[in-house]
Amino acid sequence: MEKIARRFPQVFVAIYTGSLGEVANIRQFGFWLLNRSAFEDVPLQKPNEAGILLTIDPESKAAGMVFGYLLDPFLEEADTFECLSRAHAYWLEGRYADGILRVLAHLDGILCKRSRQARKDPEYFERKVLPPAQVGDLLRRIREGHRASPQDETTGVAP
Amino acid sequence: MRFILAVALSVPSLGFAAALEEPAFPAWKAGELSELESTGWVAGSVLLTNEPIPDEFGRPKTETFQIEQPKPEEVAQDLAVSPEIAEEFLPAYFAERPKSFLIDPQGLLSSSDYRDRLSFLNYHASDSSIDLFVYVIGGDQEIPSAVREEETIERFFSEGRPAAIVFYYLGAPQRSAVYLSPSITDAVSAAEQRRALESSVMQAFEKTRAPEQIEKFLVQMSIRIYWMERMLAGDSTAKNTLPTVAPRVATNRRPSVDPVKVQRLLELARELAIPAGVLFASVTIALAFSAWLRSRTRYFFPEFEVEARLGGAYAAGVGAVISFASAAVPPASQRDQVPDYLRRA
Repeated sequence: MEKIARRFPQVFVAIYTGSLGEVANIRQFGFWLLNRSAFEDVPLQKPNEAGILLTIDPESKAAGMVFGYLLDPFLEEADTFECLSRAHAYWLEGRYADGILRVLAHLDGILCKRSRQARKDPEYFERKVLPPAQVGDLLRRIREGHRASPQDETTGVAP
Repeated sequence: MRFILAVALSVPSLGFAAALEEPAFPAWKAGELSELESTGWVAGSVLLTNEPIPDEFGRPKTETFQIEQPKPEEVAQDLAVSPEIAEEFLPAYFAERPKSFLIDPQGLLSSSDYRDRLSFLNYHASDSSIDLFVYVIGGDQEIPSAVREEETIERFFSEGRPAAIVFYYLGAPQRSAVYLSPSITDAVSAAEQRRALESSVMQAFEKTRAPEQIEKFLVQMSIRIYWMERMLAGDSTAKNTLPTVAPRVATNRRPSVDPVKVQRLLELARELAIPAGVLFASVTIALAFSAWLRSRTRYFFPEFEVEARLGGAYAAGVGAVISFASAAVPPASQRDQVPDYLRRA
């Protein structure tokens, strides 16, 4: 976890292990925890939106991974699923620590790759998070760019 | 009737007599030879003439070789085919444990051969746990009866490293004998010792010159000692795979070592050691530096405005869930994750 925090200065990883109790849905629990909790050992300049939370429930034998808005353009559900899959064999045998290490190793690789991709082509990731309205604006701006300006039209009509 | 029988018997006898009669040589007809000679050349004139062949003029009909008869003292020397080793050399042979692996006080080997063979034996000793001592004796010489080989070997080779001792008769490898030091006599059977000797002798006989014979002999003996070593080490497979009288197979298993080649390789290795070391060190340093740089690399993500969803201020709960309750449900079957609220009731 420290290694990831060092290599990715904007990001931190948190792990919750324990029974979820009455909260039946581990996905909802992860969502609630990352939005509501305050992580004591995380520097203040790293908000929760830069967090990646791994939740493991040994009772219900389930694990989930959620991440904040900072990584929203760069990570997909399939990526987190791949990370969790790496630990499946270990967690089946109750070797939670080994499984977590596998998850973090794979996560490290994915984050490296995405960071390099984002450096090369940031627009690709930006487009993924643009709200629909802004997408419309963008299209409108593109169309406007192709259309002749009113000044040009005037000069064209009046020779 | 009697007349008819006589005629019948006489006709074949007349034909037989005619068959025995040799046909006459062809002869020139009158004037034919002089006519041909006028043309300048007569084919077969050398053969079809009664004169002797020109090359044979003046050659003596038979030559008698004058062979010197052996002298009486030479005949007497031949009878004494196995002289004993001169007494002056006996101390050098049998007075003490040899200090060199090659014992040749009579100087039967030339200095270069002696040097090469000794070099090979030294190399063998450095590579093997069983030393190889070679006593070089003349091919027609005998060890004096006063010297008992077994006793000598027991006296000199009971202590120290295990050794194989060969009495090699130069030019007569078939007379050679091999003995093992007492410490390994029990471990290596007499049959195996005999086989080692036989195959070495066979190898020696592939050459005709005595120095080459001893070279081949020693190389093969060194190979067989390698197998003896394996026996000593308790390798049971050695006995099974040991070639009986198949020296070529054994040679393939362990190629003969040419000390000159080894020396050349060592020199080459010495020459290349420093550049190779420098190269290895620079590659290692480069790899270490690269790894250090990679570990120091920091990765950043561009920060975009992301619209908050589901009322979450920091995260929208996007992420996967996996169940590890049963090995029967592998991750592959959990890949398609559809939220509950999207499933049909």
